[in-house]
Amino acid sequence: MVFIDDLCIGVTALANETTQGRGFRRARVITLHSRRLIHVPLRIPDFVNNIIQVGGSFNCEMSSRSRLTKMTESSANKLLNGDACNRTINEKKSSKNGFVKSHCLFQQPHKYRRTVEKNQNVTPSSSLYKKPFVESFEETPLLVAVLTYMGYGILTIFGYLRDFLRHWNIEKCHVAQEREEQKDFVPLYQDFENFYTRNLYMRIRDNWNRPICSVPGAKIDLVDRVSHNYNWTFEHTGKVVKDVINLGSYNYLGFAENTGACVDASIEVTQKYGVGVGSTRCEMGNMDIHEELEQLVARFLGVESAMTFGMGFATNSMNIPVLTGKGCLILSDELNHASLVLGVRLSGSTIRVFKHNNMQSLEKMLRDAIVHGQPRTHRPWKKILIVVEGIYSMEGSIVRLPEIIALKKRYKAYLYLDEAHSIGALGPNGRGVVDYFDLDSKDVDIMMGTFTKSFGASGGYIGGKKELIDYLRHHSHSALYATSMPPPVVQQIITSMKIIMGEDGTTLGADRIRQLSENTTYFRRKLHDMGFIIYGNDHSPVVPMMLYMPAKIGAFGREMLKRNIGTVVVGFPATPIIESRARFCLSALHTREMLDTALQAISEVGELLQLKYSRHQQPHPSLEWTSEDSQLQD
Amino acid sequence: MALGDYWKQLSWFYYQYLLVTALYMLEPWERTVFNSLLISVAGMAVYTGYVFMPQHIMAILHYFEVVQ
Repeated sequence: MVFIDDLCIGVTALANETTQGRGFRRARVITLHSRRLIHVPLRIPDFVNNIIQVGGSFNCEMSSRSRLTKMTESSANKLLNGDACNRTINEKKSSKNGFVKSHCLFQQPHKYRRTVEKNQNVTPSSSLYKKPFVESFEETPLLVAVLTYMGYGILTIFGYLRDFLRHWNIEKCHVAQEREEQKDFVPLYQDFENFYTRNLYMRIRDNWNRPICSVPGAKIDLVDRVSHNYNWTFEHTGKVVKDVINLGSYNYLGFAENTGACVDASIEVTQKYGVGVGSTRCEMGNMDIHEELEQLVARFLGVESAMTFGMGFATNSMNIPVLTGKGCLILSDELNHASLVLGVRLSGSTIRVFKHNNMQSLEKMLRDAIVHGQPRTHRPWKKILIVVEGIYSMEGSIVRLPEIIALKKRYKAYLYLDEAHSIGALGPNGRGVVDYFDLDSKDVDIMMGTFTKSFGASGGYIGGKKELIDYLRHHSHSALYATSMPPPVVQQIITSMKIIMGEDGTTLGADRIRQLSENTTYFRRKLHDMGFIIYGNDHSPVVPMMLYMPAKIGAFGREMLKRNIGTVVVGFPATPIIESRARFCLSALHTREMLDTALQAISEVGELLQLKYSRHQQPHPSLEWTSEDSQLQD
Repeated sequence: MALGDYWKQLSWFYYQYLLVTALYMLEPWERTVFNSLLISVAGMAVYTGYVFMPQHIMAILHYFEVVQ
């Protein structure tokens, strides 16, 4: 499972977590109660089977005259400017109390006439989307859901039985416990909360934390492990499982390699600068290569200025508290990453969660926020920040950026876009989700991303206006207290970014982007035709495949490893309890043969484990596509 | 051989049963406990049916006035 309770976050913050209606401060240790850094702990899935043809349903014409005439004159002037947020917006808006519901940009679908048929290839020119946006989250079959709950029920019963045996010392207890003398003290270990870890996770733990002993490229070597006491302890047999096809590493453009231009440059830089930096950015840790990197990142993204940090998680969690505080409102997507959730909780702003990628929900919240203001005092919010991600790695869905930008401009909110998975992986030039939708990067106020996934390095960046980045340089916790990025990592990013931009003189970057796009289309198409339930957008290189039942999580991981393919399986708490999945991350280094081998094995395992749950009858509609069909052909 | 095929098919069904009921993740002694509980409950149901079915069938036939 993608666990975060191993993170030693001993942060105690005066979290002014004002929930709606209550405004008192209380100090709380952030993560002890809220171990799962997700907004919604458990929910019954209610995905509807919607292949969304957005081109037709959201017929919003931002620049058309007819839309403008419906607004009052005061807001019409400000509508399309996207100026810096002024604090007077709410006074103007609150006078329109009676008109709250009638000027929504994105109405409920049933109020719209669908003028376009549900054909995937039609793109009306007057819509916000220039190419079709197809996402599907097929509904869980009822029988499968019932059986999954039954499976979890049986595991829970046996979990209680084992806990009973452990408690009465009939069975040896491997879990951490206090010493005998300390049993009467306040408990140090929360026994019941770790029920899931002890009784469910431990049984199939051999699918995670597998030690790797080679570079995490397209093929990988794993250390052979064996356990004699049902996964409580592991021993290395001394053998190495060689050439396992790697479908789990975030290696979208294939820069995780140990030969090539990036590595040679990194070696040179290590010989010049050493490996450690020995100080923070603010003190003595600001090297010339850091400055060069930041200018390069700013040029890559198309923003005025950028700043880089040593750790991607820390970029989110340490910088959001700097940007907002008490009296601000953060509208955060339901399925945001733990780093974003931690950052918004640490900031102390009011947090409201909107449904995943659902623009009606977001718009309603924006309107309510502007009309009603802060909870008890009804004062206007100091600022409203919308926090979304580019690609959501557990769902494989892509954010609806054009609509969010339209909403942001209309309601004068700020946008924080976390492009951890989408930078380098989406878009014809690899510049991320902004490039994919062909939008202006100046519309996104704060562009954040990480270098871990597509650049083969580590660390994160934030890009935006010059004033914002200058402010961050002096106020960010990460800049003040965390050591800066090590020089070899910096050089790796510089070299790989130059390759992607094409500035090193070769077409390697463009080739890799094209290869990734082709691999994505091919892989997704094939899996869909085989009958698996795949979530997410058709163009996202993250492919979650549903498993549902707890035993199949373990069985899938092990069977795939037997066939020499390394996959990542994910269950609770990273996903809802019955929606466990296997997540494939495609790479530009995967050749067609490797993908075919992998698909063959997946199909075999799918037959063996009965994973082909999908209930659509016919194969994918556009059957005339060739295997070279990619989004890059202009 | 047909018997070998049947055995393979049967063991595939047993594997599916293990996966669906999550017994796949349990240790062998836990599987034994669960299977014996299940078989004993099923066995009791079958036995009860065997003992009481004639009476029930006679009562139904009597109700529908097929037999006096």
